[in-house]
Amino acid sequence: MISSLESAPIDVLHWFLGLLGSFGVPAWILAIISALIIIGTIIGVFLSLFALTSVMERKILARVQNRYGPNRAGPFGLFQPIADGIKMITKEDLVPRTADWIVHFLAPVVMMVPALLVLAIIPYGRDMVPAELDAGILYFFAVGAGTEVAVFMAGWGSNNKYSVLGAMRAIAQMISYELPLVISAIVTAMISGSLSPSAIVSAQGGFAFGFVPQWFALTPWGFTAGLIFYICALAESNRSPFDLPEGESELVAGHLTEYSGFKYATFFMAEYVGMFAICGMFVTLFLGGWQAPLPFLDIIPSWCWFLGKVCFVAFTMIWVRATLPRLRIDHLLAFAWKFLLPMSFAAFLSAACWHYAGRGPLAWILSLAIVGIPYLLLGNAFTNRFSVSRRTYLFSE
Amino acid sequence: MVTDFLKTCCADPMKLIGEWFVILPALVLLLAAAAAVVMRNLIHAALLLTLSFIALGIVFIALGAEFVGFVQLLVYVGAVAMVIVFSILLTKPDQLTKSRNLLSGFAPAAGVAVAFTALAALLGFIFSSPLAKKPMPAPASAPVAAIGEALMGDYVIALIVLGILLTAALVGAAVIAMEDKP
Amino acid sequence: MIFPGSGILKGLAVTARNFAGSYVEKDRLTTEQYPEERPKLPEAARSFPFLVYDGDNPETGMRCVSCKICEKECPPQCIYIIQDRDEAGKAIKRPKVFDIDISVCMSCQICVEVCPFESIRMDQDYELSSFDRFGSLILDKPKLLKSNSYYHSIHPTEAAETDGRIEADRLKKEAAAAAKAAKAAAPSVVSASSSSSQQEGKP
Repeated sequence: MISSLESAPIDVLHWFLGLLGSFGVPAWILAIISALIIIGTIIGVFLSLFALTSVMERKILARVQNRYGPNRAGPFGLFQPIADGIKMITKEDLVPRTADWIVHFLAPVVMMVPALLVLAIIPYGRDMVPAELDAGILYFFAVGAGTEVAVFMAGWGSNNKYSVLGAMRAIAQMISYELPLVISAIVTAMISGSLSPSAIVSAQGGFAFGFVPQWFALTPWGFTAGLIFYICALAESNRSPFDLPEGESELVAGHLTEYSGFKYATFFMAEYVGMFAICGMFVTLFLGGWQAPLPFLDIIPSWCWFLGKVCFVAFTMIWVRATLPRLRIDHLLAFAWKFLLPMSFAAFLSAACWHYAGRGPLAWILSLAIVGIPYLLLGNAFTNRFSVSRRTYLFSE
Repeated sequence: MVTDFLKTCCADPMKLIGEWFVILPALVLLLAAAAAVVMRNLIHAALLLTLSFIALGIVFIALGAEFVGFVQLLVYVGAVAMVIVFSILLTKPDQLTKSRNLLSGFAPAAGVAVAFTALAALLGFIFSSPLAKKPMPAPASAPVAAIGEALMGDYVIALIVLGILLTAALVGAAVIAMEDKP
Repeated sequence: MIFPGSGILKGLAVTARNFAGSYVEKDRLTTEQYPEERPKLPEAARSFPFLVYDGDNPETGMRCVSCKICEKECPPQCIYIIQDRDEAGKAIKRPKVFDIDISVCMSCQICVEVCPFESIRMDQDYELSSFDRFGSLILDKPKLLKSNSYYHSIHPTEAAETDGRIEADRLKKEAAAAAKAAKAAAPSVVSASSSSSQQEGKP
């Protein structure tokens, strides 16, 4: 029963392929069908997750503000995504007359491609990686780089000053935050000795003292790197408090200004799928991937654990969005270059010390000191730098 | 999982498809690069150049050099293309639309001549090198671990020198960008 | 020396408390679930005017005598009245047409203040939207006429006051009639009786 649930998706796939094979379908067609089924399943799961999140996010934000949130369409407002979808599809698709229409048209498509491609290397459960790559993490970041091109295309193609400003902000932000993101991910690769996500997940297996999971997030360096990765993930997926490229109050939605109808929906979808992908990566790298948090909880299938953890991380992202106000662009870039980048180097060093000090109590003290001291120093310097000074007026008293 | 399955259970048709995975991106690469040179609109040229970077990355991956392909995508699409785009964005907009007519007079002929000379020189060096005399090795996909071992082992000096060079460039860029404090 | 990031943690704690609290304490959620829950409007709330009638029959109990004062006073001129006439063409104290264009009406209540017959009053009905651009925004006589008991249900204090005033007027008239009758017999105590009845009439 337990093992059957564990491998149920793969069993179903193999049963179906065996059925087709018994009808004499050639092997290479079977291979293509198998790939298509896997792709369809992943896209289906993530798009329904997107639909669910778009309503849950609004409900959670509402609850934080002591409101009900959407509760009219269907039970508890769960059919809200359908209503939103119908609204989006039936809206007029506006293209500005002076827009560069090819670029304007291609931007949402280009945006969607990397968001879907990065889903290929995430280990969704035990032995459930769609594409097992040696350099999986590298693939993740390499493909993710396409998002920047898409944002630029959207901003430039619209031929609108707000769009260009928003796109430039977005690109500056993405490039700045990609550096700490990659470095904090590299830390995990360094400790587990592989760039393959499934190897990193299996390096986090097992339990210390029989019950403490050996996830990377539960070590000093892993906690630091995980936090940096999380912050950069927020910035990369353009989520609050780093959503100022969209800044609806001052940039009227930035690079999305001139998009309406289904193109806007595509951007929206790509953003959410990208957010789930990066949440999945975060879970894979730092929260033990599909591993259960306690030994006896192994009876729950691994893919359920993975999905649960991804949903939890997505929930915290919504929680952060409900809490923090939007940053100013210079604060944002200064935070990336002057705080996150040095901290990610500190995490890097700390991980190296952890490895060479034998992963015991000494390693704990050393690595804690290596991340803790720079954190306090840098954090205080940073906080003092941006302390609120008294407002002075030039022309009035 | 999938790729292994594909490789094992269907060697023949996959090989065909695999060849097309090289030929198609290569065609896209050539066309996009040519179009990027000819395009009058600078932004379109930059985007086509980005497309050619992507196609080159796919060619690398299809040829089994996964690591190089991903690095190509990460560095060229993620960074170089963005630097080009940024430099275009930061220049004056009227220079974008009314760029000087470079496609008249002797300029194109000179450009083509320079390009072909450079290509001929490159080809000459490649074919005269001792490597060209060796028989073609079997195309083996280089595992990332092997590349890492090689970089940290045999080529560690080169790696460190490059690292120092890049750090110097980074420090220089920071110094240039630093605001002048009174 | 502060601990960097403590402010963010504090903020997260506040939002988490509100998030969890909204499921536990129901009085945190102040949103009215509109079509199911109706707001309890304050007594003085007003939307657009309506016409009060006494008794059960709107036509016979109508208080309006078609004096057209409200029509003349209405600042945006949204009231339209035609006086009724009998077969002989003689004017009757009753409107034949009484329309209020609520797309023009600004809810100023001046018509209510000037009405000498306590006939026009402000309604509280706010669900007036319609798919029809003009027709259903012009309230005609059947739509405007509402019973005195409805008036009591929406503005109890004001309605009681009005009723008292009408009653006082009636008593005054009766007293005047009685006085007239008495005057014929013995002209002596007219003013005293009329003023005392007015005092009693006020609640």
